[in-house]
Amino acid sequence: MRSAWLLGAFVALVLLFLLGPLLIAIAVAFSSGERIGFPPPGLSLRWFADALGNEQFRDAAARSLWVALAATVISVVAGTGAAVALTQGQGRFAGRAWVQAFIMLPLAIPGIVLGLALLPTAIMLGLRPGFWATVLGHAVVGIPYSAYLVLAAFAQYDPALDRASASLGVGPWRSFLRVTLPLIRPGIVSAAICTFLLSFDNVALSLFLSRGDTLPLRLMQHIQFTATPAVAAASVMLVLLSLGAMLMLGRVLRGRGTIRIAG
Amino acid sequence: MRLRALTPWLWLAPALLVLVPFFALPLGLLLRNSLGRDEPSGGVEPVFTLENYGSVLTDPFYATVFLNTAGMAAGVGLAALVVGFPYAYAVVRCSARWRGVLLWAVYTPLLVSVIVRVLGWIAITADGGLINAALLATGLSSRPLRILYEVEGMGVGMLHRYLPLMVLPLVNALQRVPWDLLRASSSLGAGPGEGILRIILPLSLPGAVIGFQLVFASVLSDYVLPTLMGTTRFRMLAPALYDEAVTNLATATAAAMAVCALLLVVLMLGLGNLAVRRLAPWARTL
Repeated sequence: MRSAWLLGAFVALVLLFLLGPLLIAIAVAFSSGERIGFPPPGLSLRWFADALGNEQFRDAAARSLWVALAATVISVVAGTGAAVALTQGQGRFAGRAWVQAFIMLPLAIPGIVLGLALLPTAIMLGLRPGFWATVLGHAVVGIPYSAYLVLAAFAQYDPALDRASASLGVGPWRSFLRVTLPLIRPGIVSAAICTFLLSFDNVALSLFLSRGDTLPLRLMQHIQFTATPAVAAASVMLVLLSLGAMLMLGRVLRGRGTIRIAG
Repeated sequence: MRLRALTPWLWLAPALLVLVPFFALPLGLLLRNSLGRDEPSGGVEPVFTLENYGSVLTDPFYATVFLNTAGMAAGVGLAALVVGFPYAYAVVRCSARWRGVLLWAVYTPLLVSVIVRVLGWIAITADGGLINAALLATGLSSRPLRILYEVEGMGVGMLHRYLPLMVLPLVNALQRVPWDLLRASSSLGAGPGEGILRIILPLSLPGAVIGFQLVFASVLSDYVLPTLMGTTRFRMLAPALYDEAVTNLATATAAAMAVCALLLVVLMLGLGNLAVRRLAPWARTL
C-alpha cells in the first residue's frame, strides 16, 4: 500500500514537470512586464497586440504556413503512393524490401545531419536557400512519416475487397478511388496532420534551407536577442493551433472510414 | 503483363522523385565532401584524403564537442529511463480513466512547439524566474542562482523535451507483460520488489532500449535547446555543425563531423539492438 502512495506521488511530480512549463509559458504571455520571468509583475494583453503587430512574426507565420502546406501535399501524395505500391496488387515486386527500407531511412538520420547534407546538394541542383528548398527538405522527412501512417491503415485493409470490386467489373482506377481511398482515409488524414505539425515546428532543416525566415527560427532569434513576452504571446497562439489540429486528429481517428455505395 | 510489372514503380515515382535527389544524393555528397579539402571560399577541393576525420577526431576542439554531446545524450537518456519507468509502470497499472490522463500528459508536450516549452523553462530558471523568485522570497539565497545558460538547465530542458520518447515505448513494452507472472512469483515466495526487479524489468528491456535510442539520437541532433538554454562553454554538436558549415564555410570539415555523428548514432543503435538480442531474444528492435 505504501508503495502505491509513493508511486502516486512520483507520478504527480512527473505530471507537474511535464505540464508546468507549458502552463507557465502561457502565463508569461499575459504578463505586463518587459522581460520573460515568473511570476509576472501584472497582467495585460499588451504582448498579444505586440505579437500581432510584429510584421516579422506575421511574415514568418505566413511563410511557415505555406511551407507546411506545400510540404504536406507533396509528402501525403508521395507517401500514399509509396504505401499503395508496397501493399497493393502485386505488392511483392523485385526489390520491394529495399525500396521500403530506402523510403523509411530518412527517419533514422539525425535532422541536423540531413540539413547539413541538403544545403550543398540544393545549391548544386540550382536551388538556393528559400521556399522550395525548405519545402523539399521537409518533404524528405514527411514522406516516410506519411508512408508509415498509410501503411498502418493498409494493415487493416482486406485485399479481397479489390477482387470483389474487380469481379463486379469495376476498373482498377475507379476501384482505387471508390473502395481503397475511403478505407485508408484515416491514415491519410493523420499523415497530413503529422506532416504539417512536423514541418511547422521544424528547425534542423529550415536552419540550412530557409533564409532564417520561418516562424520557429524567427521566434528563436527573438528569444536570443530581444526576449520580450511577445514571443510567449505568439507561442500561445501556436498552442491553440496545435490543440485544434489535435482535436481534428482525434475526431478523424474516432470516425472510421466507410465506403459509400450509392451515388 | 509488362505494364502490370511497371505499376508499383508508377505509384512509387513521386516518393522516389523527391528522395533520390534530396535524400540519397545529399548523403552521397556528404560522404564525398568529408573526404575533400576545404577551400577558403567555402568550396571543396576534390581530393581524397582522411585529414578531415583526423582533425575531427584528434583536435581537442572537435573532440570536446563529441564528448559533450555523447555525454549529454547518454545522461539525458538515463535520466529519462529513471523518471520514465515508474511513470510508464503507473500508466499500465492504473485505471482506464487515469491512463487517458497520464498518456495525454505525455502526448501534449510532444505536439506543442518546442519554442513554447523553452519559454516555460526560461521563465522558471531565469534570474527573474520562478526558482529564483522563490529563493529570494524565502531568504534561502540573497542573489539569483544561475541556472539558465548552464549545462544543468539545458539538461533539464532536454529531459522535458524528450521524456515522452522514453515513456511511449516503455508503455508499449509493459503492456505486453503478462502480469499473472508477478502473482505467480509472489506465490512462490518472491517479495514485490524482487518480482519487479527479476520479472518486469527484464521484460520491459526492449522498450527501454528503443526509448534510450530515440532520446540519444534526438539530443545529439538538438539545435534549439543548446542555442536558447545552453552555454558556449559546453559546446554541443548541432550548433557546432551549423557554425562550421555556415559561419566558417568549412564544408568538408562539417561533413566529416556529420559523418562521425551518423556513425555515433549507428553505433548506439547497433549496441542497443545487440543488447536486446542477447538479453531479450523474443523482442523486435528498431
